[in-house]
Amino acid sequence: METNNTLSQTKIAELETAQSFYKMVYNQFKENKAALFGLFTIIFFVIIAVGAPVIEWALGVDANTQNVFNRYKPPFSQVQASQDVRDQMVQTFYLKSPELAKDIETELLAKNLVTPIRPEDAMYDWVNLSPEKAIEAIKQINTPAKDDLIKSVKNFSSYHIFGTDELGRDVLMRLVYGTQVSMGVGVLVAIVSAFIGLLVGALAGYYGGVIDTILMRTTDALLSLPLLPVLVVIAAIDLQKVPFLSAITQYGNESIIKLVFILCLFSWMVVARLVRGSILSLREREFILAAKTLGATDATIILRHMFPNVIAPLLVSVTLGVGESILFEAALSFLGLGIQPPTPSWGNMLFNALELIYKAPFLAIIPGVLILLVVVSFNFLGDGLQDAIDPKSVRR
Amino acid sequence: MKKLAFVLVAAAILNTACTKKDSTGTSASAGATSSTNSKLSNAELKIGISQEFENFNPLISTMMATTYMSRMSIRTLDSINADGKWIPVLAKEIPTFENKKAVIKKIGGKDHVVAVWEILDNAMWGDGTPLTCADFEFASKVAASPNVSVADKETYSQVEKIEADPKNPKKCTFTYDKVRWDFYMLGTFFPLPKHLEEPIFKKYGSIKEGYEKNSLYTKDPTNPGLYHGAYLVSEIQLGDHVTFTPNPKFYGEAAKIKKIIVKLIPNTGTLEANLRSGTIDLISTMGLALDQALAFDKKIKEEKLGYEVLFQPSTVYEHIDLNLDNPFLKDVKVRKALLYAINKDDLVNALFEGKQLPALHLVTPKDAWYTDDPAKITIYKYNKREADRLLDEAGWKMGADGYRMKDGKKLSFTIMTTAGNKTRELVQVYLQNQWKQVGIEVSAKNEPARVFFGETTKKRKFDSMALFAWVSSPESSPKVTLHSSKIPSAKNGYSGQNQMGWVNKNVDDLTTKLEAELDPAKRIKMVHEILKYYTDEVPVLPLYYRSDVAVIPTQMKNYRLTGHQFPETNEVEKWTLE
Amino acid sequence: MTTYILRRIIQTLVLLVVLSYLCFNLMTLMPGDPVELMISSNPKITAEDVARLREFYGLDQPTYVRYQRWVSTILEGDLGFSRTYRIPVSEMLGPSLKYTFILSMSSLFLSLLIAIPLGIYCALRPNSKFDYIVNLLSFAGISAPSFWLGIVLIIIFSVKLGWLPAGGYQTTGMVYENIFSEILDKAKYLILPVLSLSIQSIGRFSRFARSAMLEVMRNDYIRTARAKGLTERVVIWRHGFRNALIPLITIVTLSLSSVFSGALITETFFAYPGAGRLIYTSIIGNDFNVAMVAFIISIAMVLVMSLIADLLYGVADPRISYE
Repeated sequence: METNNTLSQTKIAELETAQSFYKMVYNQFKENKAALFGLFTIIFFVIIAVGAPVIEWALGVDANTQNVFNRYKPPFSQVQASQDVRDQMVQTFYLKSPELAKDIETELLAKNLVTPIRPEDAMYDWVNLSPEKAIEAIKQINTPAKDDLIKSVKNFSSYHIFGTDELGRDVLMRLVYGTQVSMGVGVLVAIVSAFIGLLVGALAGYYGGVIDTILMRTTDALLSLPLLPVLVVIAAIDLQKVPFLSAITQYGNESIIKLVFILCLFSWMVVARLVRGSILSLREREFILAAKTLGATDATIILRHMFPNVIAPLLVSVTLGVGESILFEAALSFLGLGIQPPTPSWGNMLFNALELIYKAPFLAIIPGVLILLVVVSFNFLGDGLQDAIDPKSVRR
Repeated sequence: MKKLAFVLVAAAILNTACTKKDSTGTSASAGATSSTNSKLSNAELKIGISQEFENFNPLISTMMATTYMSRMSIRTLDSINADGKWIPVLAKEIPTFENKKAVIKKIGGKDHVVAVWEILDNAMWGDGTPLTCADFEFASKVAASPNVSVADKETYSQVEKIEADPKNPKKCTFTYDKVRWDFYMLGTFFPLPKHLEEPIFKKYGSIKEGYEKNSLYTKDPTNPGLYHGAYLVSEIQLGDHVTFTPNPKFYGEAAKIKKIIVKLIPNTGTLEANLRSGTIDLISTMGLALDQALAFDKKIKEEKLGYEVLFQPSTVYEHIDLNLDNPFLKDVKVRKALLYAINKDDLVNALFEGKQLPALHLVTPKDAWYTDDPAKITIYKYNKREADRLLDEAGWKMGADGYRMKDGKKLSFTIMTTAGNKTRELVQVYLQNQWKQVGIEVSAKNEPARVFFGETTKKRKFDSMALFAWVSSPESSPKVTLHSSKIPSAKNGYSGQNQMGWVNKNVDDLTTKLEAELDPAKRIKMVHEILKYYTDEVPVLPLYYRSDVAVIPTQMKNYRLTGHQFPETNEVEKWTLE
Repeated sequence: MTTYILRRIIQTLVLLVVLSYLCFNLMTLMPGDPVELMISSNPKITAEDVARLREFYGLDQPTYVRYQRWVSTILEGDLGFSRTYRIPVSEMLGPSLKYTFILSMSSLFLSLLIAIPLGIYCALRPNSKFDYIVNLLSFAGISAPSFWLGIVLIIIFSVKLGWLPAGGYQTTGMVYENIFSEILDKAKYLILPVLSLSIQSIGRFSRFARSAMLEVMRNDYIRTARAKGLTERVVIWRHGFRNALIPLITIVTLSLSSVFSGALITETFFAYPGAGRLIYTSIIGNDFNVAMVAFIISIAMVLVMSLIADLLYGVADPRISYE
């Protein structure tokens, strides 16, 4: 009995002490299973994006190695490397340790393991033998580089969990690197456009009059401007020639900068109009009037009293925005404004796979499912945050 | 969840389509297609096309799809057949110097070719009016008008005068503007129905664009009097479809198929679906991309569908123009190394499964001017070590990062091409990878076709490499692409096509002389000389010659792809499904 | 109110003129004017030809002069000529606008009809199992790329099942006996494109409806209304839904403003001869007159719909005043 009593007493104490805002949000949030699922999925993909090089190293497959005679391999395929890759290996070996290479060459010829047309081709012929034969051959040769060479030969055979694409590249690794681009662009654009939209919408809705007219007509203008000619014109602009932009574009990331710029330019208007609509109605509410009579500054009213009330529609459109940006990016690469090949993104992988959906359906399905997963996760997360932040939705 | 289910359903369905494991699924689908196929008869043929088309006025239309269709209804004096030979079409025979139908005459102190063309006796317009020299003369007159926007004026302006024999209105004497050996190539010189169009031209010809706005081809496109080919246009809806019915007044053999509908399916990804669901029966050459055709070809064989995929090497030459003003590319060794480093055979075999041929130079294999004789031209066979050697020699030393450097600069280029063209993007990435292996960094920068052709290549704004294609016809003069006066610049209104900026005195001379050389054997010799310079100096990296692809039902007969600018519809009357 | 409307109409007109001039400039800024396109397609063209053609198309004039010319012909009631198709713009655009309107309106109605009740129902039972399922489905709908969806629908319903035609707007060359057979035939061709458009907008609309309604239903006046003993129906529709209208109005008017602009990707996939495709080809092919008229229509629609939205805000929430 007593223990029970103390327990309830601590509970009462706990309830009586004021919780910090963040703690409340946190407590609310962790109750929401769907939101947690969303959060963990997003964290998972962020880890993948950041850890792409590590994954590459762990799997021993990289995203750019082509194998054109093994295109469109279905998932779970074992594939032999192309002649290019093998020759490349030998050449690097020659460059790194010319003496060793020479020795192996002579020994290969002496033991009659290969019969090349020209003696200096011995190693190249050897490397293009079937893996078993090549390993067999190198075992008979006395060289300190034996283990390394055997390892390299074993590496020529690669395993592709998600199969290979139109150039025989590993789909899994391309998806992993695509995560960087798609998640990065999606999140960045959604946040930036939400911010611009919030600012414009709030100013227009709160102040009304001339400011409203100017801002909202600009919004209308951008909303009604035909997208395609604008995009084509932008495509023709050489960013390197724009003085202040040349500094940021010198690292060969011109296409990504262009892309983010375009996406931001064309995605804040809906948010702005939503926010303005809500603020217009909030402006006339009693609590705003009260705040005004109490002498609150405009900034305080907007930031402290209005923003919490527009967060619901805002979060919805931001979280929707992530998915839209990922897809918009894909459509843009069709115009040459997206990510330039060979850099992968989920969007351009999906787009490219479409023409051959009959032949290699998995190429279209996997990125599609990933986009879906990420978009759904963001929406769950947004939902959960909205519920957690919104003071009115606290349910005990 | 719904989407997930969708995905699973789709995956399941697609899998049955792609593998033969599920025998019931496959046989059902095969059964369904073969039944649609057996439904095919000469009563109707529906052709799928993926490009937009316009009205059929042959002087004004410029779109490929329009050319494809209009050849069913509109013909020319002569044309090239599927074997690549010039054959008479509306003419009884092609005038030559040998048959004395063509002579060189001195008129007004200048030499001119004068040729006699005789039109088939039974050639007439769909309303029964005979087709005569007057129709050609009228077309020439319309083309000369400054108020009509004829794109290809040169075809018409090369003929200075057309006169009909007073006794025979079908016997025409063509006086050309100068001495030219290619005078008989009149495959794009169309007649216009004078009896219908002249009143319109008289009334509106003085107003800018007045004729084309009021031409019957615009106002009344189904008027039979506008056509003289095997078919008449019986219905035309721009942006959707055109219906053709046989022309009872056709001069040649009667058309066998009673109705041909050409339907626009703008997305190539859905062409196959439209074919299999019976919306269309045939996919024209303006349809599938090569990769799609290859995949479909395999599926047809696996599932025994009632279709056949046709591959026809064409005169389209895919290549990379090098900007010779680029400081790195000024060195011929670098250019040669670029060429040695790419494995064109692998490219063609792996990506195109051997259905497109690797290119040696700008002349395509079907051309009488073609040569692959190593004694006449320089041939570059894939040789990575040779590429390495040349680059070493040129002073480009391999750096630690795997790229070559010279004077602190990285050997780096930008390859540009049309965005959204999947085959080109594929080739581009393949090449990037190959050059990387010899230590050359190549980054991609793609643009919409409009920007690429309207700005970048036209004004030579590409920094080093531009990947695109030339569409040529057999034995066409290489002057526009090789002569140094054809380097596009503000001075010549950017009208030339020597986008490389190649200057070679000998080539300039040869290309100019070639145009007036009357002896075919000497012409071939001159072309081979040009090709020698071309392959020696490598202003262009040749890649491959494209192939045309079409999908036809198996029972279709006499459908022959041509692979050049005169499409298979020139022989539409021979097609049959029975 | 009247002065407000009047002021807005004047603003709209001014903006329309400004934007049309902007578009006109954009079209000229785009690389590849008609002559440049001819140059690239015709290797034989000479410098003289180029000069002649430039003059012919008036391309040697500065942009503002060309804009003036264009405006004056438009004001005369002449929409001009399609340069690519060689027929009057009105003949070209008319039918495709009609087809697009039918397509987008059917899709809009269908989506609103399904999405709004769905969204409200979910908002009334937040975090229920039903809510979760609808949520997931909406997200799936929103995140399904339309090109992907289009091709999957075609594969399933046309190729595999053979129930519906893969593309087009009617059976080509068919002669209709009566109006019903015509409607029936055309409706068959509409199902797949409408479906592919609606799947996306249903998701979007139901999300907005749900979140707006959820927001409203937490208000004190709803509790008051319930406490007064009003029936649930009155509470939901009179007190709840009416207040949830503001964000919905924004979204619906935004969608309405694009009923004439068409859906390029859907139309392309289903070979539907709508305005979206026409506008795309006209821009790519530099068909100035078609593109400009299409721009004016779509700009005007956005501006008018934005005006209507503002007016509807006032109707939905009488506290919003326009003075």
